[in-house]
This record gives sequence, C-alpha cells and structure tokens, in this order.
Amino acid sequence: MNSAGSQSPPVPPEAAEPSAGNLPAPVWLMVLVFVMLYGAMVFFDQYGGWFDAQVYMPYASLAEVQACQPRGGGPSLERGRAVYENICGLCHNTDGKGRPAQAPPFAGSDWVLGSPERMIRIPLSGLSGPVQVESTEWNLSMPAMGAALPDDDLAAVLTYIRQSWGNKASAITPEQVKAVRAQIGARSQPWTAEQLKAVP
Amino acid sequence: MNYGPLLFLAAFFALAGSWFGFVLTPQAQIGQLQPTNMLGAPTLYPQARPGLARQGLEVYRANGCADCHTQQVRQSATVCDVLLSAAGTNLPAVLSALLRVRPDLSEPQARQCLSALPQPVLQGLKPAEADAKVKVLNGTGAKASVSIVPVGPDIARGWGKRRNVARDFIFDYPVALGSQRIGPDLANISVRQPDAGWHLRHLYAPRLEVRGSAMPPYRFLFDKRKIERSPSPDAMVLPRGLGPPPGYEIVPKPQAVALVAYLLSLRADAPLFEAPLTVAPGAGATGATNAPTAPEVPAATNTPAASGATSTNAAPTNAPAK
Amino acid sequence: MNPTASSEPAAVGPGGRDAATLEIDASCRLPLLVLLVSAAAWLVITSGFALISSIKFHSPDFLAGPAWLTYGRAHPAAASAFLYGFCLQSGLGVSLCLLARLGRTGLGQGWLVTMGAMFWNLGVTVGVLGILAGDRTGFEALDMPGYATPMVFLGWALIGIRGAMTFHERREQRLYVSQWFLFAALFWFPWIYSTAQLLLVAFPVRGVMQSVIAWWYADNLQVVWLWLAGLGAVFYLVPRLARRELQSRNLALSAFWIILLFGSWGGIPNSAPVPAWMPALSTVGTVLTTVALLAVGLSVWQTAGRGGAAGARASLPLRFVLFGALAFLVAGFMRVLSSILPVSKVTDLTWFGPAMDQLNAYGFFAMVSFGAAYWILPQLMGLEFPWAGLARAHFWLASLGIVLLAAPLAIAGVLEGLKLRNPDNAFMDVVRATLPCLRVSTMGDLLMALGHVAFLANLAGLAARFYRVRAASVFSALTLDAHKPAGARP
Repeated sequence: MNSAGSQSPPVPPEAAEPSAGNLPAPVWLMVLVFVMLYGAMVFFDQYGGWFDAQVYMPYASLAEVQACQPRGGGPSLERGRAVYENICGLCHNTDGKGRPAQAPPFAGSDWVLGSPERMIRIPLSGLSGPVQVESTEWNLSMPAMGAALPDDDLAAVLTYIRQSWGNKASAITPEQVKAVRAQIGARSQPWTAEQLKAVP
Repeated sequence: MNYGPLLFLAAFFALAGSWFGFVLTPQAQIGQLQPTNMLGAPTLYPQARPGLARQGLEVYRANGCADCHTQQVRQSATVCDVLLSAAGTNLPAVLSALLRVRPDLSEPQARQCLSALPQPVLQGLKPAEADAKVKVLNGTGAKASVSIVPVGPDIARGWGKRRNVARDFIFDYPVALGSQRIGPDLANISVRQPDAGWHLRHLYAPRLEVRGSAMPPYRFLFDKRKIERSPSPDAMVLPRGLGPPPGYEIVPKPQAVALVAYLLSLRADAPLFEAPLTVAPGAGATGATNAPTAPEVPAATNTPAASGATSTNAAPTNAPAK
Repeated sequence: MNPTASSEPAAVGPGGRDAATLEIDASCRLPLLVLLVSAAAWLVITSGFALISSIKFHSPDFLAGPAWLTYGRAHPAAASAFLYGFCLQSGLGVSLCLLARLGRTGLGQGWLVTMGAMFWNLGVTVGVLGILAGDRTGFEALDMPGYATPMVFLGWALIGIRGAMTFHERREQRLYVSQWFLFAALFWFPWIYSTAQLLLVAFPVRGVMQSVIAWWYADNLQVVWLWLAGLGAVFYLVPRLARRELQSRNLALSAFWIILLFGSWGGIPNSAPVPAWMPALSTVGTVLTTVALLAVGLSVWQTAGRGGAAGARASLPLRFVLFGALAFLVAGFMRVLSSILPVSKVTDLTWFGPAMDQLNAYGFFAMVSFGAAYWILPQLMGLEFPWAGLARAHFWLASLGIVLLAAPLAIAGVLEGLKLRNPDNAFMDVVRATLPCLRVSTMGDLLMALGHVAFLANLAGLAARFYRVRAASVFSALTLDAHKPAGARP
C-alpha cells in the first residue's frame, strides 16, 4: 500500500485505504525541538526549585525560602505591645497609668521593675488581697490573665511593660517564663503580696 | 518489520515516565505531610476540622461549590518591610540613622515618624537589604525588625495573607481547590465573613447579601415549616418578599448548618517554613489554626444587611504589619 | 455515496470496495451502530445539562429550585456525559472500525463489543444519575461516583481487549500512522483511569496529592487521549477523503512521540499549592507540545492543502475533519500560551481554561467524530443518511456553536484575569464585565444543542431505515419461501 514519496502523489482509488508518504520531517522542526528542550532546562533551573518539596512559587530555591524566614525568634516589643493592648491594657490602661479602683499603674512600679520571678508569677496565677503600689494601697483581685498565653507571648508582654512608659528594666525571656511555670505547677490560687515578697 | 510490540513498549515507557514523574514522585514528596509547628508559635498547624465542619465539606462537595469557588490564594513575591517599633534612648542617633535609611524624608517628617511608633519605615525590600537597614537602626539603640510580607493581587485583594501550600489541605477529602473564580476565593473566608448568619442568608438568597451576585440560591438546604407553638430560635429573619408566608418559618437544614460550619473553619494564614510571613499579633492567637477551637453552632443573627448590600470583598488591606 | 440497499457482498462491491472490505464493514456494523447511536444520545443529554448550566451564569434563578439541577450538579453531569458518554464511546467505535480496516481484518466477536457498549452505557447512566443525586466525587474529570466504575471498566475491558486483539490479528503487517495513535489510545485510558480511581476514590491519597492526581488524570484524558484518538482518525480521514497520500509519515510520527513523551506532563496549573517543580515541569511539557501541533498542522496542510477547500465543499465529512484539525491547532496554541508563566498569571483560574478545554474536546474531537460517523456509517450500512440537509445544518450549527461558545469565553477569561490583577477592581464589577460574553456563549450552547438533535435524528433514521430494509428483505425471503413450490430455493 505504501508508495514512494513524490511531489504529486498518485491519487488512489476511493476504495483503497490511505497511505503515507515518506518525506522526511522538515529539519527546522527537529531544530525547534532541541531549542525548546534547552529553553526548558533554563526555565526549570530558574523556576523549578530543583525538586525541593519546600520550595513553592514564587521562591526560586531553598536558599531563598530560608532567607525569607521571619527574623529573631523570641519576643519583640511590637508583639508585647499587641498582646498588652488586647489583654492587660483593658484594665491597666494603654499608658500604663492604671485605672483607679480597677487596676494599679505599671509606670515606675517596683513590682514591675523588680525581680522578674515575682513579676512573672502575677499574670500566671493572679494576685488578690492588699498590695502597695508606689504610694497607694490597692485591694482588688486580678485573675490569672496570662495563664493561657504561650511562653513567648507572656515574655513579650512582660518585657514590654518593663520597657515602656519610662520603665528601664531587663527583658524577660520565654525560658524564664517556662521555668516559673514549671515551678508553680498547677497552682490555681491567686498570690498575695506577702507570698510574692517571699520570692527572691 | 512488525512494529507492534515495539510500539506498545515505547508507548508504555512514555506513559510510565509520566506516571512516575507525576504520580509516584509527588506522592513520595508530599503524600505523607504531617502537621507542623507554626513559625514562632508552639501551635500545631493544621488542625483537623471539627466534625460538623467535616460534614460541611461533604455538602460542599455534593453541591459542587468548588466549580465556582477556588481555595488557592496565589502569591507573586515576598518582600521585606523594616518595622521601627521603639526609638530607644539615643534620639539624635536614631534620627540620623533614620535619615540615612530614608534619604527622602525631611527632618521634621523624620521626627514625626519617630513620635508615632511603631511604624514601617521601609517597604518592599529584599531580605539582605532589609537586614542591613535594620542593623543600621538597631545600632543606635532603637528597636527595628524585619517583617516578611507576601505580596500579590490575591493578597492585595484581601483573599489571604499568604499563598496556599500543600500542608493546608492534609486533612481534607476531597481537596476542594476549585479551578475557576466565578465567585471569590474562599481559602480565608472565615476571616472575611465570620458571621454564621451572613452565610446562612447568603446561601438562602445570595443577592440579599451581595448585590449582582451570580450565585444561585440554595433554597433546598432550608426547610419551610409551620410554626408550632413558638418560632424556632434558628429561624431565618428575611425581608418581606423573600420571607415565608405567615404561620411558616424558614429553618436551615443540618446540611446548611454543616456547610456554614465548614466555611467558618476555612483559614490558611498561619506562617510556615515553606510560606513564611511575619504575623502581626492581632486580637487573639499568634497565628490561625485551620479550624476554630470550638465548633460553633451557627445561631441566625437576626439582622439582614441593608438593602444596598455591600460586595463580598473589603477594600484592599495594607501590609499586615501594623 | 453508496446507493445500494443490498446487504449481500458482491465480488466488486459498490464504490470499488472488494469483498474483503465489505466483510470487514459488515463485522463492524452492529457494534459501531450501538456505540455511535449511544454516543449521539449522550450528546443530546449533555447539551441539555450544558444549556441549563450556561443559562445559570447570567440568570442564577433559572431552575434554581430542585437540588439536582443546581449548577454544581448539572455542570459535572454535563461534563461526565460528554466525556464518558460521547467522547470515549465514539472514540472507541471509530478506533475499532479504523483498526479493523487498516489491519485488513474483521472485528471478530463483535457481540463482545456490543455487550461492552451496553455495560459502558449502564455505567455512565448510573454515574450521571449519581452526580445528580449529590454523590459526585469532587474531582473534575472523574466526577462519576465510585459505584459506577466497575461497569464502566468492564465495558472498556470488553471493547478495548477486542480492539487490541483486532490489532494483533491484523493481516496487513505494515503499520499505518493511525494505528500507532489508536493502539496507544486503547491502553492509555485503562491505565490512567485505574490509577485515578484507585488513588482518588478507593484508597484516597492525602491532601493536595488528590489534586495532583486529578489534574494528571484530567490532562491525560482530555488532552492526550482525545488527541491520540482524534488524530488517529484525522490521519486516516484526511488523506482518504482528500484522495491524497498523507504527507508525511515522519511528521505524523514526530507528533506521536512528542504527544506521548511530553503531552502527558501537562495539567498542573501554575497557581497550584504544590511545590514549584510540578507546575514548572507541566509548563515544560505543554510548551514542548508546540512541536506536535506544528507537525500535525503541516501534515494536514500538505495533504489536504491545495485541494482542501474544494474537497471540503464537496464532502461533508471532510469539512468536519478539517474544522476539527483547525480547532486542534487553535486550542493547542491556547494551551501552550496559557501555560507560560506571565500569561498564566492572567489566564489561570478564569474562563480561559474552560474555553480552550471545550475547543479541544468539542471543536476538535467531537467534530472529527462527527465527520468519521458521517463517512463510516453509510459505508457500513450500505445506505445514505435519510436527511442530507439535516447533516449540512448540523455542520453549521456545530461549527458556529463552538465558535460562539469558545471565543467569548476566552475573551471573558482574559478580561477577567486582567481586571483581577488590579486589587482596586471590586470582584462584583469583574463578574459583571464578563456577563455579556457569557450570554453569547449560551447562544453557542443552544446552537450546539440543536445540532446534536439533528445528529441523533439522522443516526436513528439511518439505523431505522437499515433495519426496516433488512426486515423487509428477510420477510420477503420467508414469504417467498412459503409461496414457492417445495424444492425450489431462491
């Protein structure tokens, strides 16, 4: 059925099955294949992430993903401020001056600037009973507002309190918070001022 | 020459190649993904959807919601912002550093910037550049940090904070990625529309909530029943003309409730290694879980939107770092 | 073409066909009739659902009451009926007939094929009803629920194995180009179908792997399989109808290898939530199919080119096939373009995808199937189609219909994509901007639906005419026997 390739192939009768000429495929088609394969390799090199399961577009490589990771593990003042405004600032006021008959101030308070161990315990279990803040006697009850916070966030907000509104004290690290949590265990009773003063 | 077996073998290997490359290899790579810690938080992501939401996914599948809605947020690039959060104590040094990294600012503008902290002072930088600028600022005692910000048209439109990745979907069957946006993308719909009542009304009469919407009404997900003794607390409150005749009430079927629970569990903006972003700790958690912690039984909040209903999407949001 | 109504083979039959060909044709007759008439019926059902779905875009309250008619059920019902009811069935039928003819051997045990067709139709019916009931799997090209699969698979097994045996039993050992394409198509489908069913429905994989496999399956079915089966028919019909030699074997084989090697990589869109290498490889594969497109275009042009227009005017089947070849090229280039990164940022997840999928599946494959049906069936039956005017009307309705369907959708897709790039454009405004295009595309759906009714009517009329003639001749033979004196046989 096959006939040799020719410029004007003979017309087969209607009833015959079709036949195929043997003209070679044009050269430029073959060249095109190779050019495209080369282009494909260049493209894949740039956009393929080299088969890494953690590289998604628009990142081009694992190195780029690593370079774009958020910096600085650990709490930041920005984070502390956000947590403060959502949780503590509602009662203690965003300027740290407290609210009369509601919450004592933080600015310049010894309870804030003093021992971190003491300060960390307060949000973890709460504070109730008479307590002297600066020159005022307070006798209210604070619930354990920080018990549900992760270590990072609690460290951040305590650091923020210790370093805002003129306060200049050291930062509190998540490790410190973690250690205190381990020490007090499952305590549910709020602290009293006396118990806290006993903490070094 | 009998090409038959040769043809068969060659075609077999070609198909096998495709099968190997696109079925076997991906399965080896991403077929066994597990939940992982979110960046910077001890919370696992993703969490399995609560039972009602999982039933809602079945309703989503049966009614072909994925034919019109996608759940894939795209991302064009990742840029870095420099966030100045505290000026520290050495104000003159900070001021000069700020003017160095922002030569376009005049001195009064710089002072104003320093009085309104925290603020992003530079946007759209590459990571190395941003690190350098932060070092300059931190050297003066100020507190500056780099924010990682994904950008793209979908993100600018408010459809998500970052692109979707494989890990977002490991607990879903079937994964409802969708292929067309006849309706908006739903990957983070629970952030944009957290109200169950809105969703129920939208399902019952889409054009009530979104003017010009092309979504068909899903009335068959609701029951019209006679009011017995007193109206049900779940009854829908609809404007006149759409409401049931007197003596009857419209109550969502369990399928509708489940579907809404599923929609309210859709959220994919937790920072991951493969999709990093800096989360501005807003109200609540440091990052979103893929489901609310408590399954919410939607109570129909009884305030239908005003007749000039707003469109589904809010105006484009600014960079997430606030 | 064949005015005779005789069903007896002659030494040199009408149209110059010899006894062997007539015998082959007779063996293909019933299976092909069953497959093609069922396919045509499914096509009408598809059009019904597709029309309803299309109207819902710009009139969402249309038929919004019943649950089984909601867009999310009507649309996959239409898609499944089209792919499995029409495309696969007519593709199989035409493939079997062509394989038989090219191998110069009859389609032995045709009753197996007929049985397979019945199982297939049963499976698709159950599947489509299941989708309407809400049991769709959720994977786009695989929506028929799992309980329909065994029947569908059994149907394919019966038909496909028979086709493979026909190829194996061929008397003509030298292979013509079409046989490569059609034979590959015969075993491509069961492989991808069983993989997809196993890994998506029976023992589902985890997470986004489901989408990867679903995309792989959809691309291999809607692009690779349709291309293989359709091009097999094109490379047979164009030289045959244009009465020229195919130019050339090497071009056709280049196309074959490129499609097999690179065409099966496509499918994973650039927007997908999968690691970057998967969409990148898909893009590479899709762009490389340009070579196959060029090869096919060149081949068809060189074969039919100069006499093509004249031939098309004279021969209705050739008109269908050439239109199909053109649509193949346009859809193929649309696909290549839309896989390139800068273009895909605009066209991904818009109407552009459905436009090019429809142009490929309908504009190319369905039109080639129509041409094949209009050419093969009269030869198998020995009868002309009852209404030639209806057949011509079908061509115009189908071709105009697909143009009115695909072009506005493509335009809508590009518009939508460009507008959505700008976050200041409210989403509802973008939706509103695409409405006029959607209305035009509904017109296209309507025209196509009318064309399908014409097609089914013609096929059913041909079958009726054939069996009426058959019945009449059998009856007359029996009654003649009864009236003739004993001992004298006709």
